[in-house]
Amino acid sequence: MKTNFFAALVLGLSAAAPAANAAEIEFWYGNTGRVEEAIQSTCEAFNAAQDVHSITCVGQGGYEAGMQKAIAAYRTGKHPALIQFFDAGTLDLMLSGAVLSVEAIMPDVAWDDYIGGARSYYETSTGELYSQPYNGSTMIFYANMQMLGEVGVTEIPETYEGVVEAARKLKGNGHACPVLQRVHPWFSLEQFSARHGEAIASNNNGYGGLDAEYTFNTGLVAEHLANIAAWRDEGLFRLPADTPAGKNGFNAGECAMLESSSAGYGGALAALGDAIGIGFAPIYEGYDRHNTLIGGASIWVMKDHEDASYDAARAFLNFVREHDQQIAFTRRTGYVPVTNAALETLKASKMAGEPEFATADIGVASLNMPSVADSRGIRLGFYVQFRDIFIQEVTKALNGEQEIQAALDSAAVRGNELLRRFEQTYQDVELP
Amino acid sequence: MDRRTWKAGKMRQGFYGGNLTYAMLVAPILFLIFLFFYVPVGLAFFWSFFLERPFGGGSQFVGLQNFSRVLSDPVYWEALQRTVVFMIVAPGLAIGISLVLALAADRGLRLSQAARNIVIWPKAVAGASIGVVFVFIFNPFLGIFSPINDLFPGLWNPRIDGNDAFATIVVAQVWNGIPFNFIILLSGLQAIPDTLTKSAAMDGAGSWRRILDIQLPLLTPQLFLTFVLEFVGTVVEAFGLIDTMTEGGPGEATTLLIYKIYVDGFKAYDLSGAATQTVLLMIFVIVMVLLQFRIEKHVKYER
Repeated sequence: MKTNFFAALVLGLSAAAPAANAAEIEFWYGNTGRVEEAIQSTCEAFNAAQDVHSITCVGQGGYEAGMQKAIAAYRTGKHPALIQFFDAGTLDLMLSGAVLSVEAIMPDVAWDDYIGGARSYYETSTGELYSQPYNGSTMIFYANMQMLGEVGVTEIPETYEGVVEAARKLKGNGHACPVLQRVHPWFSLEQFSARHGEAIASNNNGYGGLDAEYTFNTGLVAEHLANIAAWRDEGLFRLPADTPAGKNGFNAGECAMLESSSAGYGGALAALGDAIGIGFAPIYEGYDRHNTLIGGASIWVMKDHEDASYDAARAFLNFVREHDQQIAFTRRTGYVPVTNAALETLKASKMAGEPEFATADIGVASLNMPSVADSRGIRLGFYVQFRDIFIQEVTKALNGEQEIQAALDSAAVRGNELLRRFEQTYQDVELP
Repeated sequence: MDRRTWKAGKMRQGFYGGNLTYAMLVAPILFLIFLFFYVPVGLAFFWSFFLERPFGGGSQFVGLQNFSRVLSDPVYWEALQRTVVFMIVAPGLAIGISLVLALAADRGLRLSQAARNIVIWPKAVAGASIGVVFVFIFNPFLGIFSPINDLFPGLWNPRIDGNDAFATIVVAQVWNGIPFNFIILLSGLQAIPDTLTKSAAMDGAGSWRRILDIQLPLLTPQLFLTFVLEFVGTVVEAFGLIDTMTEGGPGEATTLLIYKIYVDGFKAYDLSGAATQTVLLMIFVIVMVLLQFRIEKHVKYER
């Protein structure tokens, strides 16, 4: 037994010896379920495709849990080389001093090929891409064409005016839930403002500096939320709280229309089949359509690892960028391809018509719509906390405890306190 | 020497000789308490005077600024107010109902033997699991109150109505607290010599009179224990229920102090704010316990 053990040890050592810059690295991700399976098979494929490096992909059970563990790990020096993190924490990571920008460690990659809405969200005000977009999604509009067809609507409405008109017809036909609407700021604030080309905060949503202030309470958002409240009273819009299946009201066949992430397409397709149609998220008449923001997450490179680990990290980032990998990932998850070249490859292939890829076209088109300085993304401190505040205040308006305008004003005041504290916390750090 | 110290002294002589043995026996648990209680508490105190960045580096001393920020935040005071309401309502119900059940079980009513066993089952269910089950029970469309909604649409909806949500948390907490209180109170009742109740009955005292004048006064040590444990428990244990049932919402209707600390610290990376609130919560709990032990002076342990 003992000799075997030593023989194995010597063998192992000699096998490891020749590749001096080989490394074993870890990649932490937050997704679960189908997406997790897709990530794991990407990792296996990477390990199988080359024998220099090896990656271990570790699921953390959620984006937020992953971030918490990364913070704890970084503080004790046990952090992974690569970590996936979600959109709302971008600024926290940029200022953390714990990450390296992907453009800095991989200057030769054609970063310009990343689709517009994805690039702008993860790049600095001077255009340096900090993290590599990975599982990208965006907001699209879902409609149950069967239900719309029953009241004579054959096209997916592209404006809120059109949505309301269709909703009135559905309600007239006895439909209990024409539109399912969520108040989470991703739906009612961020994506909404971006595609209308409006700011939610000064300094172009914080891209121009940490002294930004929230402005959404005086803009189109205030009007939109007041409309949602009125439409809810009229019985056209329903909140998840108002309908038995809650957030799943559309997939359960209770609701006819829904603004949601393109990443939910797989589930909707499985539940409703041919009945679903997808289109651009609605805008108000009289506004030009701008890009929607990227949702999902990107991959960040963390500091304080050896050169060999960064070789492995580069190899993995290059691997997941390969067209075949992106297309396979899109097929399995419903996330969109994140580079234009991968999308072209997909379009040119005979797979393009398959239902799994239906969101790729429309999602990327939505992300690639004309961009203005205010539709690049959100660069505001303690933004995760602000999202909770926004939900709390708006919920208190929708259940009748306060007026919509009062809710938004107080969300802005509380949000500004967060921004000032964030500014103070990072007072000697310059926003890249 | 009063009776309690005499007892302790006797126990000490009884088992092991030498202080070293005792020191070694308690060392492991002291070490664990130090590592998982005093060190984090110390860090919380430390961070509450600093602005701390999530990934470390660049933390700066800000004196009492964190405290003035937290204490001037109306949202914090609302959470404190809700916590106090919860601390009064939930233990009150949990102990009141347990007391009724224990008195009934103690009287040897029909089936009380079986009931005694069944009542303690909920103790075996974890808080988070209870939350998941109660979410279903109170579902406005499918749960037990859905017939009310059929008659008066929208009357019961803990998903959007703060008071409804708060009530569901209270019910779940009470349900969770009853078994333990029941066991303590029942054992307390059974320790009361039945010669007392029997002689009272012979003197013509009815069952209510016996409960008020004999059983309750002799039960004060157990009642005190359950109140202390329930008060402290409601401050910290409601976390699992809130996290699975309401996530602090709708609005902030079920954001108790303990949940606010979790959200601020772990979801929002506001380590300084969460540390400051932890310190304040600890002071709050210590004050509550000190108050309770002032009350303890009136508790008679002698029989």
